[in-house]
Amino acid sequence: MNLFNLFNRRKNREANTLILQNNNESYWKIVRQQFKKNKIAVYSLRVVFIFIFIALFADFIANEKPLVAKYNGNVYFPVMKEYAVDLGFSDWHDEFRNVSWRGLKYDWVVWPPVPYLPRNIDVSNTWVGPFDDQNVESTSWKHWLGTDDLGHDVLAGMIHGTRIALLVGLVSMGIAAIIGIFFGAVAGYYGDEKLKMSIISILLYVIGFILAVFYAFGTRSYALADAIGSSFGSFMWEFLLSILLFIAIIYIFKLIASLAKKLPFKVKEISIPIDILISRLIEIVVSIPQLFLIISIAAVVAKPSIFIVMVIIGLTTWTGIARFTRAELLRIRNLEFIEAANALGYKEWRIIVKHALPNALSPVLIAIAFGIASAILIESTLSFIGVGVPAETITWGSMLSKARAVSSAWWLAIIPGFAIFITVTIYNLIGEGLTDAMNPKLKK
Amino acid sequence: MLKYIFKRILIFIPTLIVISLLTFVISINAPGDPVETMLNQNVGGEGRSGEKLASEKTYNEKRKELGFDLPLFYFSFTNKTYPDTLYKIPKKAHRETLQRLSYEYGIWKNVSTYYQALRALEFKVFEIMPSDENSSKLRNIKDNLNSLYLTHNENEIKQIIETVEFDIFKDSNIKKTVETDFFELKNSFEHLIYNKKIINRYIPTIHIYGFNNQYHNWISNFIVGEFGISYQDKRPVSSKIFDALKWSMILSILSIIIAYIVAVPLGVKSAVDKGKTSEKIITTGLFLLYSLPNFWIATMLIQYLGDGDGLGWFPTHGLGELPKSAPYWDRFFETAYHFILPLFCLTYASFAFISRQMRGGMLNVLEMDYIRTARAKGLKKQVVIWKHAFRNSLIPIITLFANIFPAAISGSFIIEVIFSIPGMGQLTLQAIFQRDYPIVFTVLMFSSILTLVGILIADIMYAFVDPRISFSNKKS
Repeated sequence: MNLFNLFNRRKNREANTLILQNNNESYWKIVRQQFKKNKIAVYSLRVVFIFIFIALFADFIANEKPLVAKYNGNVYFPVMKEYAVDLGFSDWHDEFRNVSWRGLKYDWVVWPPVPYLPRNIDVSNTWVGPFDDQNVESTSWKHWLGTDDLGHDVLAGMIHGTRIALLVGLVSMGIAAIIGIFFGAVAGYYGDEKLKMSIISILLYVIGFILAVFYAFGTRSYALADAIGSSFGSFMWEFLLSILLFIAIIYIFKLIASLAKKLPFKVKEISIPIDILISRLIEIVVSIPQLFLIISIAAVVAKPSIFIVMVIIGLTTWTGIARFTRAELLRIRNLEFIEAANALGYKEWRIIVKHALPNALSPVLIAIAFGIASAILIESTLSFIGVGVPAETITWGSMLSKARAVSSAWWLAIIPGFAIFITVTIYNLIGEGLTDAMNPKLKK
Repeated sequence: MLKYIFKRILIFIPTLIVISLLTFVISINAPGDPVETMLNQNVGGEGRSGEKLASEKTYNEKRKELGFDLPLFYFSFTNKTYPDTLYKIPKKAHRETLQRLSYEYGIWKNVSTYYQALRALEFKVFEIMPSDENSSKLRNIKDNLNSLYLTHNENEIKQIIETVEFDIFKDSNIKKTVETDFFELKNSFEHLIYNKKIINRYIPTIHIYGFNNQYHNWISNFIVGEFGISYQDKRPVSSKIFDALKWSMILSILSIIIAYIVAVPLGVKSAVDKGKTSEKIITTGLFLLYSLPNFWIATMLIQYLGDGDGLGWFPTHGLGELPKSAPYWDRFFETAYHFILPLFCLTYASFAFISRQMRGGMLNVLEMDYIRTARAKGLKKQVVIWKHAFRNSLIPIITLFANIFPAAISGSFIIEVIFSIPGMGQLTLQAIFQRDYPIVFTVLMFSSILTLVGILIADIMYAFVDPRISFSNKKS
């Protein structure tokens, strides 16, 4: 909590200094002040910070490896070491390969508060509740929130599940925000009449787009597919390469198009009804039943992965953000400061990105807050029915689904469900708080 | 009005085309060979050449019957390595390997020769009568040849060919029969790898296939209502889906109706009483309800009110097992009894959502000048609220229908699964786990259409509630 306050105080100071240079900040300051008046929303935000803390340090809070241990006269930091090994900087010592960390004879050892990983199996404690007698050595090995059918520790699952829940919100809404803001800004700023292009440029851009898709994704499809098969990191790398290639090809065609402008003869310029086109696109995406689409795609993907679920959620939920951005930009583009920027001869992209968008982003924040809530809900629904999320990934939803098998396991029904409920609620509350902060009129 | 509806339906068409394309792309990438799933068998492997021929024949016939022997789409836009006649290769697994080989080495003709040589060799091998001394070797060769169909890695192929060579040359009888075909295969593979033409990957090409293609047939069958045959029990998909759709629709529509009936007065009340303690409790309660995941509530209800270890107040499974001969009302009440918990789970979230919106709309209207005027001229509070404010605050609620309807459909999905109600959700989930894709994709198409219909109904209702909106000159 103090962390948040500190962060906030620093932010405020930054804001104050910025106001002197930039008038845009004052609007955000008002929003922040209004938001702070809403006590519930502020507390929700603090809970989010706690969740972020848990997600970041999940490996240190719940792990099968000791935090610090002295073994055979040497001091080790196995949890830290694991990061290094995973990143490829380092390798395990021979004596630690394929060992049961609990079975080693340490000189002294500091275990994490929860000495289990979600995937650890405790055969002597299956289906034990938090208040049942547990077959453990001492209280430090107790399963504080019970176990499931295979003896997985519920508390460890909850802690590591936080990471997945937050990641789902972050990644899917990140994708949605990028797509939504882009389409919304283009549709809102240009409208139906403002974007004028010569027929030659349109043609060049269309060809460029097709070729860019062809070279960036068509010919590289096997590289991408192989990368998905090996690891998420390599897939991201290949995907990034594809995106860069895509942008590069589009840019080449942009250069050609600007050369074509210098042709001696005059080509007729026509305005592109970009707003209508994007609105239609939004309409189409809205009418795709999201849950069914995700389930169908998840069903045919050879290797289910939580990231595929996140990407699909992102690709289907950008419409709300696009609508908000579009509406704001339709309003902003007629304001004086945009006209001034136009009169100064700034490039249009600069006007959109530097002048229009910063003033349009506040409603987008609302959409993002609610979007995160619904993304978490969708992901937990999917893992609850066991589609799309691999069986070995332990999420809140998959833990909750285990309660269906044995109805006496009340802890499996209540705890993960409550966590989902709390997360969804706090994001909704933040969304509410933002809505109120940005429309002070409603507060009266 | 009619003109507007007609226009809206016209807009549906591109939407449906996009969704159908999406569905189709997912369906052709679905793992597993649909023909094999339908035949419930694995073609190839053991048996004599006659049997192999017979089983391949049934395979090809089934494939033709299902229409999988056609090109995928009207045209293809690919790189030059993409085999334009790939669809003629029967098996899906083989097609994938060949496409990959063609991509790696750049020339489809060489890949095709290699494939033909492989098939010729395989048939020769199958012609050999297995005897005591060569049967194990023969089986090895067959297995290895079969794995060649599935390998695109150069080193692995080389290794397999070497193993096959070793096996063939150990037995003079086998050697005599298949030697020429074996060398044919080996040469064709070497020809393939030495004539690499990677540049072909970067040359875009367009092939036109015409109207006789899989997508065209699938979508035109879909339009006339033929959705194909379920892989599981060979029943037509349409009859299975209509059986299931009945229950899903009853659930969703009932839940929407109940939600509106409960939510609207509650929303109005909480808006009118703004500031009172009772209102605060209602608002907070509604907010919490809105955030409660319904599958969690369903799980809890089953645990605590269900007939397992719980209090046993409600049945939690299916729709009751009374025989068809039972009196109608008995069956009706039995089903209704089974519906209570699922309906509750399905309804509370949307009703919380609607009443929150109702409250917001009502609050906006209550601030208007004409409400103050109405109060000032001495009208009763009740009259002002219900006659003046209520009607005007309905507009946002009506448009919500467009959101509620799809949400109800997908919401009923999960609730059906939890309560084992034989609706669309249950059907789809089973189909997914059993890889019964015709059902999955028909459901996907259907739910999109239902969503579109929901949006249309909302738009039409919008016009009825708010006479200011005229569709004839509405800017689309």
